[in-house]
Amino acid sequence: MLHRVRYPVLLCAITLSWAGCGSTDRSPRAAGPSREPQLVAASADRIRNVVRRPGATAVVVNVWATWCTPCRQEFPDLMRLDREYRARGLRLVLVSSDFEDQAHEARRFLARQGVDFASYLKTGNDMEFINGLDPRWTGALPATFVYDGHGTLRNFHEGRTTFAALERQVVAAMNGLDSPETSVGDSIGKETAP
Amino acid sequence: MKTFQLLASAVLVAASFAAAHAEETAPNGIALGDPIPRSLVKMQGVDGRELSIADVRGTKGTLVVFSCNACPWAKAWETRIVALGNAALGRGVGVIVINANDPSVNEEDGYAVMRARARQRKMKYPYVVDATSDVARAFGASHTPEAYLFDAEGHLVYHGAIDDNAHEPAKVKERYLQRAVDAVVAGREVATRETKALGCSIKFRPRG
Repeated sequence: MLHRVRYPVLLCAITLSWAGCGSTDRSPRAAGPSREPQLVAASADRIRNVVRRPGATAVVVNVWATWCTPCRQEFPDLMRLDREYRARGLRLVLVSSDFEDQAHEARRFLARQGVDFASYLKTGNDMEFINGLDPRWTGALPATFVYDGHGTLRNFHEGRTTFAALERQVVAAMNGLDSPETSVGDSIGKETAP
Repeated sequence: MKTFQLLASAVLVAASFAAAHAEETAPNGIALGDPIPRSLVKMQGVDGRELSIADVRGTKGTLVVFSCNACPWAKAWETRIVALGNAALGRGVGVIVINANDPSVNEEDGYAVMRARARQRKMKYPYVVDATSDVARAFGASHTPEAYLFDAEGHLVYHGAIDDNAHEPAKVKERYLQRAVDAVVAGREVATRETKALGCSIKFRPRG
């Protein structure tokens, strides 16, 4: 139990220069000594709470890591999705699975990608985190989950995705529909990873 | 009439797309109790020899691990995989570690680095190249490292992670794979048969 408490505390310490660890502020940050976004330690429970928070018409959760090539490749598509659909109620939830002592690299990457809202760092046991988001997820990265405004999972995808696929899934989720391409395992990532 | 033809064409195109996509993304792979797939496929090892999984089968069981050189999770677990694999060999368990990654994605996953890594880590078991990634596809492996343990009869009895803490070996609480190997060697049933851990997606080679 102790280690579950210690990591969030550690992460809070790491992110001292930002507002409290519970913040989910999505407004652009004021110019300061650093433009790196807040990175908050998060279990699957915490991510599910962020998904269920009222006010979104669709929520996309993307689990990524700085060293993961397909994750880096799809990141611009996620950011484009955020730019084009945020005003329509899309909530983009980015969860880094970098090791906790590499959090600074994750923040630097997010800053370079233009992320200006609070983001998350996976903490705790891998299996609890994976199954807590979706038991179908094998643990491969990247993984993308699309929820509707009620927090119901509408689409799940392992491997690299594309803007077109994400857009279809988000529009479907905004209309309370599943999209046809829910996939596990051999997927876009396998077919198109360079 | 023209409108109807246009609509019909659109439906056909959509159906073809859906079918093609479904084929690409259908979940596959083996389940607990299944036999070793593609066990006769020869794969080149770091010593230049061509070996299949059948060639390395042990009298007590067979351990197949999909891993690679470049993935931080594979690196984090590497010394533990080597220690466990080397020890298992002496206990009647055949061991083979398979790199299914396309090295054109990351050259660190190439054959030369595999040879160097095997030498450096003193791997006693074969570290081989799945040159089409089809062995990994047949298993349904999705990421590295991912372990599959088969019993003496060649049926899958454990699938999943090495242990519960890739990054901090000193904080490992559950040595999943070690316990599964111990059970197989003792002829006991494996208690925890499926586990998960985060890992790097396998960089599959394009389908032939």
